[in-house]
Amino acid sequence: MTGLLIDPFGAPYLARALVEALILGALCGAIGVYVLVRRLAFLTDAITHTVFPGVVIGFLVSGQAGIVPGALVCAVLAAGLFTLIASTTRVSDDATLAVLLTSFFAVGVVLVSRQRSYTADLTAFLFGHVLTIDRDDILVTAAVAVLAVLVLLVLGRPLLAGAFDREWARASGYRITLLDLVGNMLIALVVVASVQAVGTVLVIAMLVVPAATARLISDRLPVIVAVSAGLGLLGAWLGLAASYSASIDHGVRLAAGATIVLVLVAGYALALLGRGLHRALVRRMPVAR
Amino acid sequence: MPPPVSDAAIAFIHASVAYDRFPAVEQVHGTVRPGEIVALVGPNGAGKSSLIKAVLGLVPVVEGSIVVLGRTPAQARRQVAYVPQADTLDPDFPISVAQVVLMGRYRRIGWLRSPGRADRAAAEAALAAVGLEHRARDRFGLLSGGQRQRVLLARAIASEPAALVLDEPFNGVDAVSQEALLSAVRDLTARGAAVIISTHDLTLAQSTCDRVCLLNRRQFAFGPPADVLTPSLLRQAYGGAALELGDHGLILTR
Repeated sequence: MTGLLIDPFGAPYLARALVEALILGALCGAIGVYVLVRRLAFLTDAITHTVFPGVVIGFLVSGQAGIVPGALVCAVLAAGLFTLIASTTRVSDDATLAVLLTSFFAVGVVLVSRQRSYTADLTAFLFGHVLTIDRDDILVTAAVAVLAVLVLLVLGRPLLAGAFDREWARASGYRITLLDLVGNMLIALVVVASVQAVGTVLVIAMLVVPAATARLISDRLPVIVAVSAGLGLLGAWLGLAASYSASIDHGVRLAAGATIVLVLVAGYALALLGRGLHRALVRRMPVAR
Repeated sequence: MPPPVSDAAIAFIHASVAYDRFPAVEQVHGTVRPGEIVALVGPNGAGKSSLIKAVLGLVPVVEGSIVVLGRTPAQARRQVAYVPQADTLDPDFPISVAQVVLMGRYRRIGWLRSPGRADRAAAEAALAAVGLEHRARDRFGLLSGGQRQRVLLARAIASEPAALVLDEPFNGVDAVSQEALLSAVRDLTARGAAVIISTHDLTLAQSTCDRVCLLNRRQFAFGPPADVLTPSLLRQAYGGAALELGDHGLILTR
């Protein structure tokens, strides 16, 4: 079993994939808790779609190397626009998001439909290509992770106060719109960092599933953050190892990103089952108070 | 006529407040002195919440002014504690009672330090002041509505405020929690804090508040309960929501 978990990663490309996946797993797990408590899953999903035109334009301008900068520009633009529109108009947040999501995505589709040779790269963008990650991709992801840790260290308390009780936080003098902007930008950065490895379709799972699982396991925020980051890490590792083993040892091709997501979802299912069992047992036990 | 502004913790000077560009309440004139509890009373939609948000600097004063601790409401924020209605908060939020109360210290702790011994002691004392020290480790959402309201008051107490603003703190709150809330608020006024409470409960306003501000889109009266909570003034302020009970009084239906 340990051989299965460690041996494959001797090959440099797999070692790079593992490092990238581990950083992303922990990063998405931690930021996912903010997504969970602020109920921003839909915003996250919308950002994954809004990066699409950025990816296309970036690719047209400078090929593979243009994808991350292009995605970054669009994600930051979308997160900024959303924060601005949501704080100044009476249109509900979800409607604002729907408008942004579809308009950005439509621009992307129009651009793609004018190209002939894009389909292969498009698939990589949708589902990720963790096995062809290079050193620069890892550096970008690591930089986002460092930034995320810094933001959480400095702004953790204001972000918590704003997530729990917005009106009180505002009355206490916190600049809520600014905090929202920082939080939304952070989500945008994490989405962009994840796009190369797991693809836009699956990023949302990396952000939401470990946090939701951790929430099932604990009521305490520090524990939830730690468990969520740990689950993200573990899911990335097990998923990659399973994908490698299936492909090499059993001749079944399993997409790495999707396998990671399936492992995370399996964890969620287990936690759900465990919680159900725990409740059933507690109900049968005599009350000891 | 209105008392002088100089000794007031909070002074409303012919203040009109707008919410979303529409006037919410007009011509409020009166003061809250240190150590005093003033009740905001009026039917639903009277503008009580808007007036409270104006004191907190969250809603603009479009005419006249509101002076809080000698400054504008926005400038005074750090010394004013706000107690929102507990049932507006997500009961599933993963946060413990102790963490909620500690939030009251956040502005004192600063950005980069972690909570010190003094902060934890202040939070513990505040939770004890509302009689919930034994629930510190429980998740906030597991408490009853009245207990959650007490935790939010403890958060306000922990910030050691010079003024306290409570939005409908007694709505749906059981008798035990109501008594705990009132006694903790009295502890604060004994230390010189000025308190504003919005409430539907006229009996409570009568028995516990030093003065009452009667509102419905504008101020109808501002003064001692006995002068303000009279059938004739209530009838004026509540209009069609006041049901006459012969010669002896009236029932307010909202």
